[in-house]
Amino acid sequence: MDGSEVTPDGGSVVIVDCGDSAVVAKAVGMDAERAWQVVHALADALDAIRLDGVHGIVPTYDSLLVEFDCTDTDHATVRRVLRHEADRLGTGPVRPSSTRRFVVPVVYGGEFGPDLPVVAEQLGVSEREVVELHCGADLTVRCLGAPAGAPMMDGPAFPRPVPRLASPRTHVLPGSVAVAGRQAVICPMPSPGGWPLLGRTPLRVLEDLDADPLTAYRPGDTFRFVPIAPEQWDDHAGRPLAATHG
Amino acid sequence: MADTLTIHRAGMASVQDLGRFGRSRYGLPVNGALDQHSARVANVLCGNDEGAPLLEITALDFSCTPSTDVLVAVTGAPADLTVDGVVRPQWEPLSVRSGETIRISGIRHGIRVYLAVLGSVNAPSLQGSCAPDTILGFGRSLRDGDELGLQRHCPPVDHPEFRIPLFRLRAPAHHFPTLWTIDVTDGPDLTEFGDTADRLFRSEFTVSPQSNHIGLRMAGSSPGDVPRRVATGEVLSRGVPVGAVEVPAGDELLVLHRGRGVTAGYPVLAVVTATGLSALGQVGPGQSVRFRRRTVAEAVAAHRAQRGAVHALKNRVRTVFDVLRIPTSPARTVSPVPTPHHLPADRRTS
Repeated sequence: MDGSEVTPDGGSVVIVDCGDSAVVAKAVGMDAERAWQVVHALADALDAIRLDGVHGIVPTYDSLLVEFDCTDTDHATVRRVLRHEADRLGTGPVRPSSTRRFVVPVVYGGEFGPDLPVVAEQLGVSEREVVELHCGADLTVRCLGAPAGAPMMDGPAFPRPVPRLASPRTHVLPGSVAVAGRQAVICPMPSPGGWPLLGRTPLRVLEDLDADPLTAYRPGDTFRFVPIAPEQWDDHAGRPLAATHG
Repeated sequence: MADTLTIHRAGMASVQDLGRFGRSRYGLPVNGALDQHSARVANVLCGNDEGAPLLEITALDFSCTPSTDVLVAVTGAPADLTVDGVVRPQWEPLSVRSGETIRISGIRHGIRVYLAVLGSVNAPSLQGSCAPDTILGFGRSLRDGDELGLQRHCPPVDHPEFRIPLFRLRAPAHHFPTLWTIDVTDGPDLTEFGDTADRLFRSEFTVSPQSNHIGLRMAGSSPGDVPRRVATGEVLSRGVPVGAVEVPAGDELLVLHRGRGVTAGYPVLAVVTATGLSALGQVGPGQSVRFRRRTVAEAVAAHRAQRGAVHALKNRVRTVFDVLRIPTSPARTVSPVPTPHHLPADRRTS
């Protein structure tokens, strides 16, 4: 384990090896928002430096995974760069404030969100309350997940975490809006999934899998869900999500 | 008319490269050849870039015929390799003439064979790589009758009558033991497994049929052989490396391989080393592995030695090819695919 250095606000960044081809930087001793800012700022810095041999950077909530080819670089070099950047961050604001807000229409329940009843039951509230909580506040994207560009968001203000499905679905339709634990997500691609489904957006979440950048949204951006009736599906079908920010 | 490689018997084969690097921030797994070492060596033996598209042939018999003279190399698991019925060696470059049939059968001791062609084959690209991503539905398995575009041809480089190969390049081949030893280093969450962590090194683990390029599931001979998490509490989703050894359900190990989703919420007990991952890319269902604990420094040294051997081979290949005047102009890289047809059509219901 690397000697962690205490930053002036009391938190610190701890860097540990994660096998022969990766290290993990973890923000500890600071509030969740700050920890998230720190690991994403470190990821941005590492991206900008384009360190030889580094080929994978995964910032999430309070942790940053850096994968590299240990023939082209080594743990000491990656650690040194991370330490240097962590020190530079200091205590100031570390994210650019220019975030975007996307407004996403969702058909809740029924065939669109088959798990809405069970989630309501688990939370001890009505289906309507689940929907109201889900679209009652802007949800912040914290990171992008599998299989491609899935926006992982802070979940709605549910009274408790939502359990995962006992047996995952083998096929979740693209645009499905799901929750689990204290997180929320839109599934951009058809894929297997173990998160309960509340609804589905008719928007096209990803325009082009070969696009660079892959997604219109970035960590820090927010999503606001708006309930629509099943009859309104066709009014939005196929519209790019990228066009709904404002 | 462009030259092609016609696939007669596809078995389970696909066009691969070393992976889709630099996209994990967008949630894209790296994927790519599961036995990276054998894939690199196959390409190097053909004078290709190590990351050029090549064929990954899994377990089942395979055959194909080029429409022009080519130079190929076959690496990976031991198999019966013939060109028009004549036995040929793996791990060396081979001249194959227009119309001759390359046959790979009886794959054994491991499950993956790599076939590279000088100048490489045409393959669609997504985010800079041709590596199939089964979850995204990108890249597909080859089918009988498929024709792959060939970038180059290569005049025969062997004895014109007896077809005696001219090459003795001594490529660094894998060992294919009956019981695999897979090197790991301690994982970042080792302490969460308390005294049970050592169980990883006490018994053999057998790879279950529910294993693939995303992860290998392994069971001990009894549930008590499997390490158990003793800590409690939720783990926030975070990035997990390829090679992470987890115990998600409690009775089985899950070893993540190159198709793994980039984030997970299970504690990481150990991490398979880079050389260990290439070896694991050869271990099939029903085969057994024993894990061996290594320090990070030992693991890095082993990986560098393996890559150094490939580098030395590259120099020998260059020398020999220069002498024989085999043209190895840089292989064209993968060609972009028109978009957005690989996005599935929007379906309202299932």
